[in-house]
Amino acid sequence: MKNRLWLALRLPDLPLVSFPVHPEEQAVCVLEKQRVIYANTAALGAGVDIGMDVTRARLLSDCITYQRDMQREQEYLEQLTAHLYTFTPYVHIRRSNIVPDSGLLLEISRCLKLFGGLKNLCGKIATAMADISTAYGLAHTEEGAWLLSYDNSPISGDENPADFIARLNHVPIARLADWRDEVEALKRTGFNTLGDISRQIETQSISSIKKRLGKDFADFITRLFGIEQNFQQTALFEKPVQTYQPKEFFFDTMQFDYPITQVEQLHTPLEQMLQQLGAFLRKRKLACQKVEWRLFDIYQNSHHLSVHCAIPQNTWKLFYDLTLIQLESQQLPFAVDAIELTCQHLQKWQEQNQSLDFSGRRSKNRGGNDLALLEGKLKARLGEQAIFKVSYKDSHISEQTCEKLSAFTPVNQQLPQIHQHALRPTWLFENPLPAQYRQQTLSWRGTLQLLTGPERIEGYWWAAPKARDYYIAAREDGLRVWVYKDLVEGSWFVQGVFAG
Amino acid sequence: MNPDKPNPNKLITLEQLLQRGDIWRGQSQGFAPQAALDSGHAELNECLLHKGWPLASLVEICQPAALNGTNMVSQGEWLLLAPALRQLKEGYTVLLNPPALPFAPGLIQAGIDLDRLLVVAAEKKADFLASFTELARADICTALMAWQPKHNLSYTELRKCQLACSEGKGLYLLFRPLSVRQQSSPAALRLRAQLHLRSLEIQVFKQKGSLNSANTSIHLALPETWLPIAAHANLGQEQSPPSTHSTNNVSSIKRAKRKVP
Repeated sequence: MKNRLWLALRLPDLPLVSFPVHPEEQAVCVLEKQRVIYANTAALGAGVDIGMDVTRARLLSDCITYQRDMQREQEYLEQLTAHLYTFTPYVHIRRSNIVPDSGLLLEISRCLKLFGGLKNLCGKIATAMADISTAYGLAHTEEGAWLLSYDNSPISGDENPADFIARLNHVPIARLADWRDEVEALKRTGFNTLGDISRQIETQSISSIKKRLGKDFADFITRLFGIEQNFQQTALFEKPVQTYQPKEFFFDTMQFDYPITQVEQLHTPLEQMLQQLGAFLRKRKLACQKVEWRLFDIYQNSHHLSVHCAIPQNTWKLFYDLTLIQLESQQLPFAVDAIELTCQHLQKWQEQNQSLDFSGRRSKNRGGNDLALLEGKLKARLGEQAIFKVSYKDSHISEQTCEKLSAFTPVNQQLPQIHQHALRPTWLFENPLPAQYRQQTLSWRGTLQLLTGPERIEGYWWAAPKARDYYIAAREDGLRVWVYKDLVEGSWFVQGVFAG
Repeated sequence: MNPDKPNPNKLITLEQLLQRGDIWRGQSQGFAPQAALDSGHAELNECLLHKGWPLASLVEICQPAALNGTNMVSQGEWLLLAPALRQLKEGYTVLLNPPALPFAPGLIQAGIDLDRLLVVAAEKKADFLASFTELARADICTALMAWQPKHNLSYTELRKCQLACSEGKGLYLLFRPLSVRQQSSPAALRLRAQLHLRSLEIQVFKQKGSLNSANTSIHLALPETWLPIAAHANLGQEQSPPSTHSTNNVSSIKRAKRKVP
């Protein structure tokens, strides 16, 4: 553990990354749950404080306020992580649940030689972090580096663990923001700096801290100072350092010997490339839902083709079928000289549980995959909206009691008691068709005779009030239709057909 | 020809040929038993050769158009098919190019499982044919109800549909307007469905393996709520059709009761 060296990069202005840049004199506050969690220098100068109510902050500084965007912050941190991966594989994000401070922690002891020493490496990292204000902290432990980042001590390049412990001893305990209750308890017993805790451990070992403040806090202190909890015997193994896993993606390209003009000639190359994708996915236990094709001609004109499927796949067959369906429905825009396959968004392959099947009947999982295959093929040909399920939706207005859902969404089939015996047609016209009422005769492509009704449906009094009297009517050719009289307008409409 | 090498054509005997299910044998009806699904209507089962809807074959139902000039054909199809569809416990029922939006509350009342009901919109003929063949060949599609697009399907196109159906195992129904009844079709079973004021008339006018079906016509009873209200004078004697908020009926019944001494 003594060989490790951690560099903390704390980003105090991270909450601002999601929002437009303002001049320095403009006060800007970022809010979360109506409380200020970030205030820029102008706002702080005007008297705004972290944790202040939004109304007070506005009265004090006439500031521009934004709601915190956690997702954007996370994306920004992930981008930085990927960028810093060029320096060390041991890089991870640090976020606190209590205070908005976030940043990155890098273990750099094993890359010092490569980058020509600590000072050179820190200089290169500072260049990489030029876009955002960063506070640096260096220590022999992860927690120590983070706490020392608040001191902004200069990095000389010849620090050793004793220097770090000396610096940590001066840190006030109020800085342990994630341990509020423990800090309060320590303050009451006269502890003010981490040095006080360190002296306590030296005289009475860590067990007294553990007894009074709990195991979690004692573990944190040992991690902070890099000391062994068990003084009788040193730990056999160090806690392994987390290695950053860069986001994986698949890319393959194929150049043809001669330009291809027929879709049929593309079948074999497409199959080969997708087989490689399938092998890549299976080896890494990954799956994907979308692949992108780009076709190029000799003049570097490109044509884009995107293939989706509803359920993540780790085999190539479905993507091949769906690509062919898309290609069948369109002509090649030019003679194809090269083809590229990209798969950006990969996810972990969820192994499906296979139950022992003595009866020989197919499992339900198979049905789900078959449906995905069928749905994918139909959607590739007919479009995204072409395949759907219908579901009941609670509403007063008839046309709103039926909604369209995607093929994989469970439907609501629970009719309320009041609708279970009400007469409802099996076909509905989404836009009701006008019926004619002349000389006491109702007609819609034939004379209608009212059979049952009326059933009055009223609703939407808060918007455009609707009041309708519904009837079943028989047309002279025997067709049963669902008609209603709009009591507001006084006109008649046909809204559905009874077919069973 | 080498005399030692057996000629494969000579090995096929008449007996073997007769064992095939698709050899027409005149009026003998000696067909190999074909899988069929109980239609749920006893009278209809009697008319059908295999005592139910034939599976893995194209069934064509011709209906009068409800809306002239459109593909809106609807003559009690759920009334006719819901009993059979309710028996299917696996797979999906797919509605291809339906004439209107299937109305969830009405279908729930008819006992259709909406979780296993898919709607596929394919208005163009080429899309319709591609989707029909794809669906008919898919194992998970156990019932397919397809409404012919605006442009009439030719014999060749219907043949493609029939071939796709023969590769599947489900119930495949194609709804077409009554005007095509006189045209030739390769469907294994062709019916005419026509609603009347008190019944749904089903006429079987083509059935593979049966010559006697031309005049077969049956009448299926309609639900009580679809029947016209009884004549005013008979209200006292006869039970009036049930209705939820039938204010007209209530007032009529009151008036009728006053007449009774």
